[in-house]
Amino acid sequence: MALTRRDWLKTTGAGLAGAPAALGAFEDYFQRASGAPAGMTRIVTACGICSPACGIQAWVQDGKLRFLEGLPGDVSGGGHLCGKGAAGAMQLYDPDRLKYPMKRTNPRKGLHEDPGWVRISWQEALDEIAFRMKQTIDTYGTEALLFVTLPSPDLWARFMNAMGVVNRVDHRDECFQTDMIIQKYTTGAKTWCNDFENSKYILLFGWDILAKAKLAYATGIVKARENGAKVVHFSPNYTATSRFANEWITIKPGTDLAVALAMIQVILSENLYNREFVDNYTNFGKYETEIRTHFAQYTPEWAEQISGVKADVIRRIAREFASNGPAIAPAHKKSLCANYMNSTQLVHAISILNILAGTIDRPGGRYFPRMHSIPGVDAIYPPPAYPPKKGRRVDGRDKLPLVNEVDAGIFSTLADGMLNKYPGMIKFSFWNAYTILGFPSPLKMVEALKTVDFTVVMDFLPTDTVTLADIVLPSAMYLEGNDAVARDYIAKYPQTVARKAVSAPIFEAKSIAYVAIELGKRLCPDYFKTPDGSWINPSTLLDEKVRRAGLGENFADFAAKGLVEKPQPFVPRTTFVSVAGADGKCQIYVPQFVAKGADPLPKWIPKRDQPNEHYPYYYMTFIPAVHRRNTTENNSILHEMFPTNAAIINPALAKKHGIAEGQKVLVRSRAGQIELPAHLSETVPPDVVMVAHGFGHVSRALSLAGGVGARDGDLIPDASIDDFVAAGNYGGSSCIMDAVCSIEPL
Amino acid sequence: MQAYGWLIDEKLCIECRACESACKMWNQVETGVGVRRRQVRVYTMGVFPQVRQQSLTGACNHCENAWCMKVCPVKAIWRREEDGVVLIDQDKCVGCQQCAMFCPYGAPQFNLRTRKMDKCTMCFDRLEQGLDPACVTLCPTGALKYGPWDEIRGKGSETTENFAPPRQTRPKIRFVKDPFPVKG
Repeated sequence: MALTRRDWLKTTGAGLAGAPAALGAFEDYFQRASGAPAGMTRIVTACGICSPACGIQAWVQDGKLRFLEGLPGDVSGGGHLCGKGAAGAMQLYDPDRLKYPMKRTNPRKGLHEDPGWVRISWQEALDEIAFRMKQTIDTYGTEALLFVTLPSPDLWARFMNAMGVVNRVDHRDECFQTDMIIQKYTTGAKTWCNDFENSKYILLFGWDILAKAKLAYATGIVKARENGAKVVHFSPNYTATSRFANEWITIKPGTDLAVALAMIQVILSENLYNREFVDNYTNFGKYETEIRTHFAQYTPEWAEQISGVKADVIRRIAREFASNGPAIAPAHKKSLCANYMNSTQLVHAISILNILAGTIDRPGGRYFPRMHSIPGVDAIYPPPAYPPKKGRRVDGRDKLPLVNEVDAGIFSTLADGMLNKYPGMIKFSFWNAYTILGFPSPLKMVEALKTVDFTVVMDFLPTDTVTLADIVLPSAMYLEGNDAVARDYIAKYPQTVARKAVSAPIFEAKSIAYVAIELGKRLCPDYFKTPDGSWINPSTLLDEKVRRAGLGENFADFAAKGLVEKPQPFVPRTTFVSVAGADGKCQIYVPQFVAKGADPLPKWIPKRDQPNEHYPYYYMTFIPAVHRRNTTENNSILHEMFPTNAAIINPALAKKHGIAEGQKVLVRSRAGQIELPAHLSETVPPDVVMVAHGFGHVSRALSLAGGVGARDGDLIPDASIDDFVAAGNYGGSSCIMDAVCSIEPL
Repeated sequence: MQAYGWLIDEKLCIECRACESACKMWNQVETGVGVRRRQVRVYTMGVFPQVRQQSLTGACNHCENAWCMKVCPVKAIWRREEDGVVLIDQDKCVGCQQCAMFCPYGAPQFNLRTRKMDKCTMCFDRLEQGLDPACVTLCPTGALKYGPWDEIRGKGSETTENFAPPRQTRPKIRFVKDPFPVKG
């Protein structure tokens, strides 16, 4: 709708408000205007597209969400939103959303089979799911259940615990699992807080951190640059982050570990580390000989042979990093930690760099979040003892004891486990908000899912996974629920935002907490009762959480405040509580790893797949800045910005194969092949084929994203757990970028 | 007349495209009809690895000498007296696309459904209420600002790479070209 002045007068009565506020000095003028748009009401809530949960003020007009903007005073988004967050209403009002529970009538399953949905009631759906679960457990034991879901919210975790679910997997092996494990053993509890703003030297390994637009990070790095910090970006391809950095250093894919090891070697051999921190707060003194001996082999000259980064550059960057602090080398996500067979070792090496820089829980470094403590359901209504978890792990996780400890699961070994290791073991599966696109070799995952007798999928959109379900449950989304969100991405002091529903759930959509309680009533009632014998009520539970956390008398009171904060000075830690035997110190050398079959110090191991005569090029994937993996491709605004994917190649490579811009190409790897148009770009090296993740949804019920683009995962081989063990991949990083490919014109 | 203009600091753009989403949302611009009133365009220059990119958020620059207005055969494009905002009257527009041909900035766009032209209004309805344009409100880094043209015109440069020469149309936009501070 284009507004003319006439329209405007029609809708508002008049242009009553005069010229914008009084004009002061120019910079003053750029203070953000405040006040409500006419005729709109404001609701404070939190974004749910990605994890930092930026504070939102939602403007609602005539009961409809009209506009989302940042919440002033919120540290997570800095009072702003990114392109994804601002388009959140398109998720809420997506016409394709699942509206009712549905049941399959076509017994044949496949991505291209019509499931023959019939609408059923929630009552019927829940009764059937409960019956199937009980029947499965009675006949085959709890090991026959597979839950592909996050362990949240807490009511859902309680349900899974009460049922003794052994096989729960989530995507964290593709995300921050390695980081979680390494942090636990080197510096303490997991954190992803980075004090970029106060940092003077920011070292980024292969992570397009700016364009990923996690604003908590991006705005921190912008401020750091404005404060004069230096940003160095190692990345094979040129990205928005490379543009933003002072130095972009191109590197061969999957070899960041070699550079990180060589940097440690330089810092140790030249004694450039932060002596005060290292002497007082680390176990360097105790293991100095082992550490120095181990790293001596990793010279910059050695790393140059592997990474293609010049030895003198590595040496210079190492010296700068150690001497121009406070310095930080963040680690966290897909683009870095999970991509290669050697990513666990890389995260350990990065952790050591931060320790040597002396910036663990120090200004300008990686710090531990200071948050409101919000009790979980188990603290408020203590449950009866949970049953022991008995049975085999279908993904083979128990062969990687460190992964077992963080209670994640492995996406990349799941299909192999279901098809080859324990065929027929899984009889019942429950999926919440995961699509098969998230898996390497997604078609193999489809085959694995076909071997399961009964599958329930809960989602808010009709994804490809939904196509394979026996029962579908329509899920509420983040703008439809209430919660207290203590954000842990940039929590220098406690700041909790009220996530208040801006809309009732559409049609019959319900939350996963509702499903937990309803299935709980049917299957494990003792776990879902309050001390007075009534069923747990999520609203009462939330009121109690808010009260105990000191955020307000109840949720309504807290929601009226919107944002509750407790400013406090930053007091650096002096003890680092990690694991038994660590003596409250950061561990460079991790003695506990030895007993668990892992290396106490990071050593060089190569990536899984190397270019060869059949597949001569590196295959790289990325998530476009304007999308959230597998969930926003059907968002009409974001779809318009980035509708589909292409094989992005360097013009030199295109010339070699006679490929023109836009021409269809065939990209193949040992796992599979995809066809998509070529896009020529000087931003990728001549030995790389790059494809955006998140496209290739098959489900035609997705009116925008269905049938558009190619599945990048088809080229990424899944793995067996034995591959991981043999390679020393003890953190279970899923190798979702660790593939090589060929390309030819069609 | 109190006119307004844009101020863009290219180095601060992180390509999050909040400005684009905000514009779509606030103005309820229909999707899928070929209209993106504000758009982040990314230009690549050089040859790998001597490569460089520039990202430039663009919309209507509400030119002082607006060619779109001059060439419109039905006088559907007009300028608001109170703030210099150039607008298209949907009742008059016949969708001939003449304005699009003459605009150097790709501002007027053909709406495939209404068969009329559409473009940025600088959120004049927000300006009237003392609010910033939606795109400016959302921009998380301050890469995109706006203000009274009398103040903006004295800032920064009048043009930048990949921006059409401003001499003829006199767009109300300036570019901050100062680099980040150099570390001492």
